[in-house]
Amino acid sequence: MEDLLEAALDAAVAAGASYADVRSVESESEALSVRGDVVEALERSDSEGFGVRVLVDGAWGFAASYDLTNEAAAPTAAAAVEVARAAATTAESPVELVPEPAHRATWSSPLQVDPFSVSLEDKVGLLAAATRALSVGPAIRTARGTMDVLRQRTLFVSSEGAAIDQTVVHTGAGIEATAVEGSEVQTRSYPGSFRGHLEAGGYEIVTAMDLEAHAPQTGEEAVALLRAPDCPDRETTVVLDGHQVMLQVHESVGHPTELDRVLGMEAAFAGTSFVGIPDLGSMRYGSELVNITSDATTPGGLGTFRFDDEGVEAQRVDLVRDGILVGFQTSRETAAALGAERSNGTMRAEGWENFPLIRMTNVNLLPGEGSLDDILADVDDGIYMATNKSWSIDDKRKNFQFGCEIAWEIKRGRLGRMLRNPRYTGITPVFWAGCDAIAGAGEWRIWGTPNCGKGQPGQTMRVGHGTAPARFRNVSTGTSQ
Amino acid sequence: MSDLRVGADEARAAAQAVLDLPGADGVEVTVHVSAAGVARYANSQIIQATERDELRVYVRVVTDGRLASATTNQLGAERVATAARHALEAARSSLPDEEFTGLADPDVVGRADPIGRVDAATASVSAADRAAAVRSILAAAGGGRAAGVVETGVQAYGVFNSKGIDCFDTYTRAVATALVDDGEATGWGESSSHAVGDLDWDAVGRLAAQKAAAGHGAGDAEPGVYEVVLEAPAVATMLDYLSYVGFGAKQVLDGESFLSTMTGAEVAAPSVTIADDARHPRSVGIGFDFEGVPRRRTEVIEAGVARGPVTDLRTAAQLDAPPTGHYSGSNEFGPYASNVVLEVGDQTYEDLVGGVADGLLVTRFHYVNVLDRPSTLLTGMTRDGTFRIRDGAIAEPVRNLRFSQSVLDALRAVTGVGRDLHAFAPDFASFGSTVAPAIRAGEFRFSSGTSH
Repeated sequence: MEDLLEAALDAAVAAGASYADVRSVESESEALSVRGDVVEALERSDSEGFGVRVLVDGAWGFAASYDLTNEAAAPTAAAAVEVARAAATTAESPVELVPEPAHRATWSSPLQVDPFSVSLEDKVGLLAAATRALSVGPAIRTARGTMDVLRQRTLFVSSEGAAIDQTVVHTGAGIEATAVEGSEVQTRSYPGSFRGHLEAGGYEIVTAMDLEAHAPQTGEEAVALLRAPDCPDRETTVVLDGHQVMLQVHESVGHPTELDRVLGMEAAFAGTSFVGIPDLGSMRYGSELVNITSDATTPGGLGTFRFDDEGVEAQRVDLVRDGILVGFQTSRETAAALGAERSNGTMRAEGWENFPLIRMTNVNLLPGEGSLDDILADVDDGIYMATNKSWSIDDKRKNFQFGCEIAWEIKRGRLGRMLRNPRYTGITPVFWAGCDAIAGAGEWRIWGTPNCGKGQPGQTMRVGHGTAPARFRNVSTGTSQ
Repeated sequence: MSDLRVGADEARAAAQAVLDLPGADGVEVTVHVSAAGVARYANSQIIQATERDELRVYVRVVTDGRLASATTNQLGAERVATAARHALEAARSSLPDEEFTGLADPDVVGRADPIGRVDAATASVSAADRAAAVRSILAAAGGGRAAGVVETGVQAYGVFNSKGIDCFDTYTRAVATALVDDGEATGWGESSSHAVGDLDWDAVGRLAAQKAAAGHGAGDAEPGVYEVVLEAPAVATMLDYLSYVGFGAKQVLDGESFLSTMTGAEVAAPSVTIADDARHPRSVGIGFDFEGVPRRRTEVIEAGVARGPVTDLRTAAQLDAPPTGHYSGSNEFGPYASNVVLEVGDQTYEDLVGGVADGLLVTRFHYVNVLDRPSTLLTGMTRDGTFRIRDGAIAEPVRNLRFSQSVLDALRAVTGVGRDLHAFAPDFASFGSTVAPAIRAGEFRFSSGTSH
């Protein structure tokens, strides 16, 4: 593979590229889904290929191929150069890259138990046992367990002399129960919705979840939701669990602080941002409790690596400090717009076939103090919501509406009645300004979001968010039905 | 862009090499190959230009009533054989699947004819051609900052199995989109077809610029229930989500589809007929599903009445219904209607707007998501051109609004269906298409506003 990459690099430079990088990705994965006694999916996949990214006449070009013969190197590089030359006919401002040392390194994400060493029989058995435990009564229409395992090796070489070899392993699982009564449908999941929870690491992540032990309560809550009262329409104090805070951070802080969005590069598809470069260092994004980082070094994060997909070393940078916007997620191309001397290393691509984009690594809300119980104790009248269910936010990331699987009334500092179909709405900086408590390190954990979409061609990225439960004042709540 | 690197003969040969896998009771091989390119532009210049060849081979193996699959992106004999062996090993680790009704038998399900929606000119578009198209859009867009894509490609799918299924179909597609931001407002234009010659680059850019210009000085519209005209891009988004939450037989069996309780009932105005129809002249698709079953036109809502879901072999048996040829490749998700068509009505655009005394015109929606599947309740935002209609004419622009609306409730309130059909492509290289006209609906609920 190394010979192929070097040949493609040489061909790109020979064809006129002022800069070139070549990245190969070799991946293997397993995806399992068990519903009741039926194995709905048991799939093993592999993929490998390479992509050539070039700068010609100040414009980017990219070409990719699954053909791994050395004969494919030159034509693929030539295609990238041809594409770049065509793009250059529209170039108004040539691309310039801030410098980055030419790293030469090898790195692998740590793990305890290689998830591929565990037999498929054991994995199916674990999920089957958990789904049996989910089926707590006749109202449970669907009891499902899922597991996902990925090993991905990326080689990166550049015309500046970089040569990087890194491998990540991601492992995750989850269960969900759907209860149906007439036209009422309610779902509960554990430990998170949308295929559970993934982390960088090995099978120890699945073992630690203890899905079977958590299944009965998950199923019972799905059934109980069928007849729970709807979440009321009101303005009140809302406490969110860590999973929903993850989604809140992702949509209303992570995406708006991607510098390509700020600069209009995502305008037609994902949208832009309500913040601009002039806001840096002065705009109040939230209360003084709100501290948010972009951290590609967080242990266990789906956005954890040693180098991004343009060879920039992993970093931890502040995005929001004491409630003030202080940073953006950048690339070598966009960092110059900030006058920055270096990219903070957030360029990532899905697979070998895609152009890297600014993507969240691990965007983390730093912990505050105390426990969830402490946060609840200070609420005389409010609502506690848990586990993300739906999300929608406008094209500038300002007006949002998020729904959760379940909620409870908070009365005089304690949880009361269960509420179904909870949702809340808000305007991003107003909402974060109302944050008056974040639980401490004891309840802070890293969550994995495996399905973040962005770009054209569309790319699905795995990102991480470290969060803890948090409290927000004066929030508009209601029912999603 | 080059032609496809793999044709029907190569795909068939690779599949046939593993169809008699020792130890397997049945083998199914699906091959997907594509060659596509995109010129993505923003701030009025191409920012990311891509060309790529892709290939995917899916091998599904049955042994002793157990199933599993393996995929690879290499067509070499050794790699496909390894995938087949992996699938067999995985199947032996699985549980007996009592819902499985067997691989498709062509003597039972019939043999699928390819649609062959291929345009040679589209298959040969170069990066320079796409860049020229972007320049045309930019010129037509005037002085505003423009962003969007020009995308062309060719895709092929083959399905082969050990019972004799042997299908291969190819299509081309061209897509152009433009968002123009002139500093005060944004506007949108798009066009899609299997043939690049059908696309008018200038018209895409011009429409986006006109929408942006018309959006200057937008004011607030109070949240509430409005009569609306939804332009075709907005209608297409509603249809995509309606299909996602309710058209598949798996959702019906799981009790999550409106069809679970409303089949045979009036769920929309009589002017509304929605079908999945890959052979519609404006659709872009293939003539079979991923089991090799012929894809049949399926009217899910006919003249306002809910008829029934799309099915695959598994769910058809469970519902005691005929298979419609909509296996998605995922038993977890179930069958999927990927070529949804809302049949045309008789209204011109002017008729639709002219019939509104006081309402809103929506160009398109943004970031839509599902709130409740059985009631088809969605939320999302308007963007790139939202206008007040007064006395049958577009009166003034308004800032974007969040909607919270049941699709079926909106379709029940339809008072006019446009006569001009528009085709929409899914995201780059994805499968399927949506075909829709504009509609007028008597009631549509907007729940909040935003600042732009």
